[in-house]
Amino acid sequence: MAEGKGGVSRRGFLKGFGTGVVGAAVAAKVRLGEAAPQTSPGWDGKVPVVLRVNGKEYRLLLEPRTTLVRAIREHLGLTGTKVVCDRGECGGCTVLMDNKPVYSCQVLAVEAQGHEITTIEGLVQAEELDPIQKAFVEHDAMQCGFCTPGQIMAAKGLLLKNPSPTREEILRGMSGNLCRCAAYPGILRAVESLAKKAQG
Amino acid sequence: MAKKLVRSVWDFENEWVETVAEVPERLPEPWAPDRPLRVAGQKYPRVDGYQRVSGDARYAFDIQLPRMLHGKILRSPLPHARVKQIRAEKALALPGVVAVFTHENIPPIPWYGDSFLFDPHVRYEGDEVALVVAESEAVAEEALGLIEVDYEPLPFVIDPEEALAAGAPKLHDEGNLWNGRPNVYERGDVEKGFQEADVVVEDTFRTQVVHHAQLEVHVCVADWEGDQLTVYETTQATFSVQRSLASILKLPLNKVRVVNYFMGGGFGSKLGLEKQTVLAALAAKQLGRPVRIANPRKDEFLAMGNRPSSIQKLKVGAKRDGTLTAISLWSLGPGGAYRSAGAELGTPVREIYKCPNVRTEESTVYINAGPARPKRAPGHPQGTFALESILDEVAEKLGMDPLEFRLKNYAEIDQVRNRPYTSKYLREAYEAGAKAIGWYEKRNKIPGSGVGPIKRGIGMATQIWGGGGGPPAYATVEIVSDGSVIVRSGSQDIGGGTRTIVAQVAAEELGIPMDRVTVIMGDTALCPYGPTSGGSVTAASITPAVLAAAVEAREQLKGYAASALNVPADQLAWEPGRFFLKSDPGKSISFEEAASRLRSNMIVVTGARGPNPEGYTINSFGAQFAEVEVDTETGRVRVLKIVAAHSVGRLINPLTGRCQFEGGIIMGLGFALLENRWMDPNVGRMINTNLHDYRVPTMMEIPEIEVIIVSEPDTKANPVGGIGIGEPAIIPTAAAIANAVYNAIGVRVRELPITPYRVLEALGKA
Amino acid sequence: MKNFEHVDARSLAEASRLLTEKPSVAIAGGQDLLCMMKDGLLEPARVVNLKSIPGLSRIVYDEAKGLSIGALVTLSELEEHPAVRQLYPAIAQAAGLVGSPQIRNLGTAGGNLCQKPRCWYYRGHFPCLRRGGDYCSAAAGQNRYHCILGGDPCYMVHPSDLAVPLVAFGARVEIAGPKGRRSVPLEEFYIPPRVDVTRETILRPGEVVTAIVVPPARGRISAFVKFAERGAWDFAVASVAVVVQKGEDGKLMGGRVVLGGVAPVPWLAPKASEALTGSELSEAAFGRIAELALEGAQPLAQNGYKVPLTKSLVRKALRMAVNA
Repeated sequence: MAEGKGGVSRRGFLKGFGTGVVGAAVAAKVRLGEAAPQTSPGWDGKVPVVLRVNGKEYRLLLEPRTTLVRAIREHLGLTGTKVVCDRGECGGCTVLMDNKPVYSCQVLAVEAQGHEITTIEGLVQAEELDPIQKAFVEHDAMQCGFCTPGQIMAAKGLLLKNPSPTREEILRGMSGNLCRCAAYPGILRAVESLAKKAQG
Repeated sequence: MAKKLVRSVWDFENEWVETVAEVPERLPEPWAPDRPLRVAGQKYPRVDGYQRVSGDARYAFDIQLPRMLHGKILRSPLPHARVKQIRAEKALALPGVVAVFTHENIPPIPWYGDSFLFDPHVRYEGDEVALVVAESEAVAEEALGLIEVDYEPLPFVIDPEEALAAGAPKLHDEGNLWNGRPNVYERGDVEKGFQEADVVVEDTFRTQVVHHAQLEVHVCVADWEGDQLTVYETTQATFSVQRSLASILKLPLNKVRVVNYFMGGGFGSKLGLEKQTVLAALAAKQLGRPVRIANPRKDEFLAMGNRPSSIQKLKVGAKRDGTLTAISLWSLGPGGAYRSAGAELGTPVREIYKCPNVRTEESTVYINAGPARPKRAPGHPQGTFALESILDEVAEKLGMDPLEFRLKNYAEIDQVRNRPYTSKYLREAYEAGAKAIGWYEKRNKIPGSGVGPIKRGIGMATQIWGGGGGPPAYATVEIVSDGSVIVRSGSQDIGGGTRTIVAQVAAEELGIPMDRVTVIMGDTALCPYGPTSGGSVTAASITPAVLAAAVEAREQLKGYAASALNVPADQLAWEPGRFFLKSDPGKSISFEEAASRLRSNMIVVTGARGPNPEGYTINSFGAQFAEVEVDTETGRVRVLKIVAAHSVGRLINPLTGRCQFEGGIIMGLGFALLENRWMDPNVGRMINTNLHDYRVPTMMEIPEIEVIIVSEPDTKANPVGGIGIGEPAIIPTAAAIANAVYNAIGVRVRELPITPYRVLEALGKA
Repeated sequence: MKNFEHVDARSLAEASRLLTEKPSVAIAGGQDLLCMMKDGLLEPARVVNLKSIPGLSRIVYDEAKGLSIGALVTLSELEEHPAVRQLYPAIAQAAGLVGSPQIRNLGTAGGNLCQKPRCWYYRGHFPCLRRGGDYCSAAAGQNRYHCILGGDPCYMVHPSDLAVPLVAFGARVEIAGPKGRRSVPLEEFYIPPRVDVTRETILRPGEVVTAIVVPPARGRISAFVKFAERGAWDFAVASVAVVVQKGEDGKLMGGRVVLGGVAPVPWLAPKASEALTGSELSEAAFGRIAELALEGAQPLAQNGYKVPLTKSLVRKALRMAVNA
């Protein structure tokens, strides 16, 4: 299939080509004093991390650079929370930390210790959907659905803090979640329907 | 079921494709427009809503297989260069790195026509150079920084006009102008037409490069079991990917399976085979383990496609009474570094308005930037913006109401192909939209005449698009002995709710409740063929196939019903829920009882999409009306309301359909006011490769939106009567907003996006 | 990101020691720091967690001493605090406009003040003087969003919304480090590019911000206006904070006009601030102050629009303040 010269193992990669200069046009990094080490630390780099997610405790061994979203997805298998931008600029990774919406891609897993983390999977109780989830389905507050878990967690956080938000408060509370399919009007209708239910 | 072969020519994303398909001799009866429907045509929550809101939905991004390896792609940091040498020793020495692939050990697989999968001649920042495979994503990412590449920089060009100039750096042997010449279309004689005109207006308009920015990055997982390859891919084109992949890997089709049950958006950026899918398959085979490759967000901006920018020079002539006499369009846009998608945008000029003399000259050039890909209604938002802007200018010069002017030049037929439309309710759209926005009451008779620094205005624009679909498209309906039904449908649900409308059509025709139907889509091993989900063709292609299969499946079930009642089948009639004796309606058997007769048998019927009607064009139409508020001190444009009135045949699900329209409109708002690709001209690189400098609309930008469907079901187009809606929604929004801005402030902005700085500059304040 | 050692500091002294032992960064909310690390702009061997240090996350208001904002107070907490909302509305408004709700739930006051520049050339690995490169890419590049005041040789705009009203209120920054504690006015905390183009703040190795102290409100009124292209997430294209004292004669008694998003540091507009004293509460007077605030502006090739835009924001902020 992949006929190429040499194999692709470490040994067989490329025959030596001699010295050369790195030509990539990458400008200098921010200076921190002495040069930072080029490779990973000598020990395998992992530390014990205890996470409380959806009411359960998990004991993991993680590299400190592991963000909470990667720990949730790759080590706990909870793939409802998505990685979309990995920079805290879209909301796809929103989870609740002590009932407050946060971007889990912008939280180090080691620093999530001692906090209660709730993911989208934590809203479903014995296969019964949370009222927010039901409202999203009822009002078709989605298209492709990739932002939906994050939107629902943001809504959950909003409503936990303020069960009867005004329209402006809903817009503001949900403003940290992008939807490229732009199902925003439907999302607004869904959350508004819950606010009204709380009122009367 | 007897079948025949038919040849069809139909519109896919502005390109006319010809297909030969096997279709049934006997086509299902169309759903009459006045036929009462229980389920189809009703608002229905998504059948897969539970999965999406619970986090259960498994996107390609979520697939985690045992022993899976992670690949990351090294991309050129330079806009134009030759790769002289690649040294991977440091990367390979990093613990956890398993392999590095480059053009040295990957065969030169042809790509883009004259290039290769790894081409040592890199032509844009983002061009693929190498693949690292490692035990974890973090290690693979880190290893990218350890691969050393020597580049010989070459002169680059990123400005389309500069790319056309003599002496510009050449990207390909053919030169920078695609095909060496523009695409020219002519009807009538524009010179004569301009001479006949009482009023001639000439203007230049510009639009920007915008990105798909869909939330799920391009990602695939390749997994071999023996010589069977399964690829989990986020794609709008499962069958196309299967075909292309099999061809490249020299595998028979039955050894390649592409799976995509849920995907996080595409908007045209996922219409075919990706280099990374080939790489994942090759690496997985070589390394004996599944390989996952997911793009970081930055690479999505660099390399996964965009809507080309445009320079459009328009000239329009009209008589005093408003009759158009001539339109000519010259346009130029960048296709990016490779032959991927062109910059055509002339369809609105050629087709929307009645005009005997039309000339369009459209050019696409190569530049050292990310290759373009079709993006939600390719060409149309840009072309519509320019055309609708200049038509408003002509109307003003004539002293005519812009809506009157549009109606004066209403095209009854397709002027390019000289044939009628299957349906066109554009007049109704104009009327309904004008009423809903308050066109006659609220619009400034004199643009810019509002008092105070905050000024309001109203504008409108017209939409035309294909979306009629066509064969081949298939669906299989299975009825089993407990009365439940499985529909395996071609194509894939890219988020528009296709699974749901498939279930609605099947449930409607079988006369059973929705929860009796399970729909499987997006799996080439489990489903029959369906077209790529682009061009808004999915619903119109697939639902007739589902209908055909359901009709035939019901016929077969009638046989079991007949045997249960001990009568010949032709004495039975059907109504939702039961079969009954024609001569004695009280004697009947329910759907479930009839099905229980199946025991271990199954009814399995594959239905086919019938041909499109000969001699007709199937198009959607519409008009959008915008009300905006402009702060003339800051330049901010706020969209208060959009009324979208569209002619799209039957809307099969008004709940999911409305959401689609709202989404397209807001995306159109982003095109009008916010989104822009910024390139640095000094180093030839993209600047805003992230989701905060590339400004996608947020919840805070949404206007009030009213969607009005003015059409009757279009049973000439296909038996179910629906025409695609995904793209119509986005097409006229920016144009309507631009015209509304003019109405508000009396000064025209001829370049998108209409950002505060552009408004302030137009007002002479900056 | 490259891997690193993560340590929870238990005290300020320990933090200072940990930060100076090897190439390190301090993490508070992490909402900017993690981006810098993910983008390969910072590659510390060690990350020192400040959130484990007690006593840095309180807001205390005292009529005599004023407002003390612990460096680890989150922007949400700051925005919602009753004393801040009532007595220092511009600060609450600014805190509430940062980023998005999720960012505000974790981002801290100290972190917001110390965040790294958002110039897209700086962040995007383009040639950049601040990062030790040969030239400024913005000077002759895409500078639509860059500065119109105080630039040269770097044309970034200061990204902090919070700094703007804090400077307007005359806040001070309290700092702890290896050599003890010190306190500086916030406007002296930041380093203009002409002084040192490679550093944004006067923090020395091992130093951390511990609190921001704002003088007592004493009847001063304030407003903060932020202009951005979108309603969420966006950094200011321009922003204005005004803090004024209303006199009994119906005129203004003094205060400060501070501009954000238009200069490499929060821009205390001296002439405009002076003109507040004795100013009438008329549109014409506000217009004059706005003109003075932008006097001497030197737009780049693409950002001339920021001048009229910022002037309109000054007028709006003054209107908001006096009408509150």
